[in-house]
Amino acid sequence: MAVMRMGYAHVRVTDMADAKQHYANTMGLYQTLEQDGKVYYKAWDEWDHHSVVLEEGGVGLVKFGWKVEYSEDIDLIEKKAKAFGVTVERMSKGENPEIGDGIRFTTPSEHVFEVYHEATLVGTEVGTHNPDAFPRHLVGVGVPALDHALITTSDVALMQRFLGDVFDFYATERVQTSLDDDAHLIATWLTSNNQIHQLACLEGPQAKLHHFAFKLGDWQEVGRAADLFSMDDVSIDIGPTRHGITRGQTVYFFDPAGNRNEVFAGGYPAYRDRPINIWTPEQLGKGIFYHARELNDRFTSVLT
Amino acid sequence: MAYVTVRPDDEVIHVADAETILGGLAKAGFTYRVGCRRGGCGICKVTLVEGQVTYERPIASAVLTDEERADGTCLSCRAVPDGDVTIELRDDTLRLTNPLLRMLNKRQVH
Repeated sequence: MAVMRMGYAHVRVTDMADAKQHYANTMGLYQTLEQDGKVYYKAWDEWDHHSVVLEEGGVGLVKFGWKVEYSEDIDLIEKKAKAFGVTVERMSKGENPEIGDGIRFTTPSEHVFEVYHEATLVGTEVGTHNPDAFPRHLVGVGVPALDHALITTSDVALMQRFLGDVFDFYATERVQTSLDDDAHLIATWLTSNNQIHQLACLEGPQAKLHHFAFKLGDWQEVGRAADLFSMDDVSIDIGPTRHGITRGQTVYFFDPAGNRNEVFAGGYPAYRDRPINIWTPEQLGKGIFYHARELNDRFTSVLT
Repeated sequence: MAYVTVRPDDEVIHVADAETILGGLAKAGFTYRVGCRRGGCGICKVTLVEGQVTYERPIASAVLTDEERADGTCLSCRAVPDGDVTIELRDDTLRLTNPLLRMLNKRQVH
């Protein structure tokens, strides 16, 4: 069985007109649907109908969708989630526009996850027949795809065990109080494949979103994104800089509702047999922000 | 334009029309505890001691509750003063990050 990727992030925004300006014109996402007060977007190199859903009213995360490789994976994950002690409900095709049957549950961290196998195939913006390298008329940053998210939870070890048992995720990096076997787990970076992380969990309040991230190619693209954020008066949290953890190059910034976004490039390839990188608190600043080597007060306190 | 008096420091700052309290303070060379600057995280809440403010954007009720609006809590990154106001920082003090900006701002304060 396999969770292939985070298929969609569904978030609340306080002002839809401002949010559209940000996600369409600054980030360069393509709107695929507007219905029932929600706006659906895909990025240029994604083929499924949507990867970002905006809903007007409030701020923060509504839910994440996870796309699995086989339809049988849905049943398997349902069994494993129930065995873990989580209540699972079935969702029907169309409950989310252009998304098939699946399941929905609330994680031990109190985030809502949906698992599905079918999504309407829209196709990438370059197609599959003798495709060009990128679309000629990208808007703004022109991100190619959704990448990962970071959530907070009061019990990181529990979430790591849950995501291991139910999603077959494995950890690539961890922050813990010491190198001892019984050390307290402060944060963990998890994935199902060679992507360095699909979901990270940080100790903090339940049910909160730290950020969701879009993929970029390299330093040059990250720098160009930051330039565009200045042009569009996007509130930058930090960067361009590098994360010690994952080695990714990054800008953290906020959407017009205050949800934290990231553009993330690089990161080394993950393997299940690669020894896990362990960070301890005295070097946490370097782990998070490799150049400043200090955590700013916003990193752990600003959540939506 | 308006004057913002900040307690407990009693610093008086000139803020341009349509400028938020937080934005005005930054232009005057000051900072305090700041989060997303977009009204989503609630980190920059201060107490509105005197005067009125208007919010330039809708604010989520989870970020600023009705009770907080009534008790004088002010989300400073989205609050635009309606005339002169006095605010009080909460468990925080104003930090001067740039004396030149402060001096330039002082020229507009009589």
